[in-house]
Amino acid sequence: MTSRDSAALEADLRRLQAELETCRKELRKVTELSTVGQLLAGIVHEINTPVGSILSNNEVAIRSLELLGTLLDQARREGAPPPPKTAKVVATLMNLAAVDKIACERIVSIVRGLKTLVGGAGEEFVEADVNTILEDTLKLARCEFRRRIQVETHYGDLPKLWCRPNRLGQVFLNILVNAGQAIRGEGKVIIRTEKEGEFVHVAISDNGPGIAPEDRPRIFSSGFTTKPTGVGSGLGLAISKDIVVGEHGGRIDFESEVGKGTTFHIWIPVARKTEEQQL
Amino acid sequence: MTATEKVYSTAESEPEPTIVIVDDEEMVLTSLSAYLTLETDYNVVTFTDVDEALAYLEKHPVDVVVSDYLMPKMDGIKFLARAKELQPETSRVLLTGHADKQSAIEAINKVGLFQYIEKPWDNAALLLVIRNACDRTRLLRSLQSKIQQLDEAHANLKTAQSQLIRAFL
Repeated sequence: MTSRDSAALEADLRRLQAELETCRKELRKVTELSTVGQLLAGIVHEINTPVGSILSNNEVAIRSLELLGTLLDQARREGAPPPPKTAKVVATLMNLAAVDKIACERIVSIVRGLKTLVGGAGEEFVEADVNTILEDTLKLARCEFRRRIQVETHYGDLPKLWCRPNRLGQVFLNILVNAGQAIRGEGKVIIRTEKEGEFVHVAISDNGPGIAPEDRPRIFSSGFTTKPTGVGSGLGLAISKDIVVGEHGGRIDFESEVGKGTTFHIWIPVARKTEEQQL
Repeated sequence: MTATEKVYSTAESEPEPTIVIVDDEEMVLTSLSAYLTLETDYNVVTFTDVDEALAYLEKHPVDVVVSDYLMPKMDGIKFLARAKELQPETSRVLLTGHADKQSAIEAINKVGLFQYIEKPWDNAALLLVIRNACDRTRLLRSLQSKIQQLDEAHANLKTAQSQLIRAFL
């Protein structure tokens, strides 16, 4: 082989590698969106309730203000004090304003959860709190869990991490969605965080049916899924591992017992990676 | 005339209709009762807990029951079925954010639902449904009381007839 041939081959290889990298990035984006897609029905339902309330309250507020105007005009014309009914209308309006605030906060928290996942700035490494990322992710997962799955959180006192928050959110959401889909009927998910030496340790447990021993060696492999066609892509955990290990220099592992449940463990190093390591 | 007849046969003495609303979301209950209180004189009673709603239905006559579908202890269809057992004449309305037509069909067939309303709801449409539901309940009750009156009159007639026969024998 001439040196020229080998140079051409090397160039080809580099080009293919670059193409592969682009494809991997695309795939990651698609998988990210597909996880959110799986939650969409739940998210719609969660937003629907507060929206319905706000819509109704707005109408009642307009009618109440009209009524209030009429009552006060009448009293002014007659030189009488405002009738007792005005106080009642004002009390109703105050009550509705309080409900609207709660309703808006509900919608905002879901939107914040979505932004944590698909925010454009998420590619950057920033200082972030893992407990906050988990809490934002849980807001989305809860749309799917609703009252079927109880969530217990034990957040430890953690140092800020130098990380890509939306990537870690993606990892947590993948594991939470898997847990939610594994649990049939009612169940429980427990989240624990703690500082463990130079690492932040996140453990997410479910009391689902567990992972079959023969499936265990393959769960982090691309394309492996036990979910029905159209539900799982078989990429969630493969990408999660890539994010934890490849991007953050951490570790991901699990323990599972058939009939008892599964726990996923994630360790992320506390020490800030050097610029070179980030690349 | 019995007390029940009195309540349902003369328009002037009829108390305002009682509407029971069940939803596990407090905010939905606040919005609905604020609207109904503003627009009507209905006696609006709300519950976040199905068991408490059923306990209320056991003791008080209710004109319309409006229920959410997805609730923690019992779904809306099961709850409305229980409500029907307790008060068969009461009109039942399912108010749901669950975008599942199958549950609606199931509800209408199983529980003999009066109406199915989707969230987010339109206040005016909801009020119209509740008004019609009230009318239906009241008509059923007055029909029932008329049937009872007829039965009683029939029984009285029978007694009189047998007394007459006995008097002649």
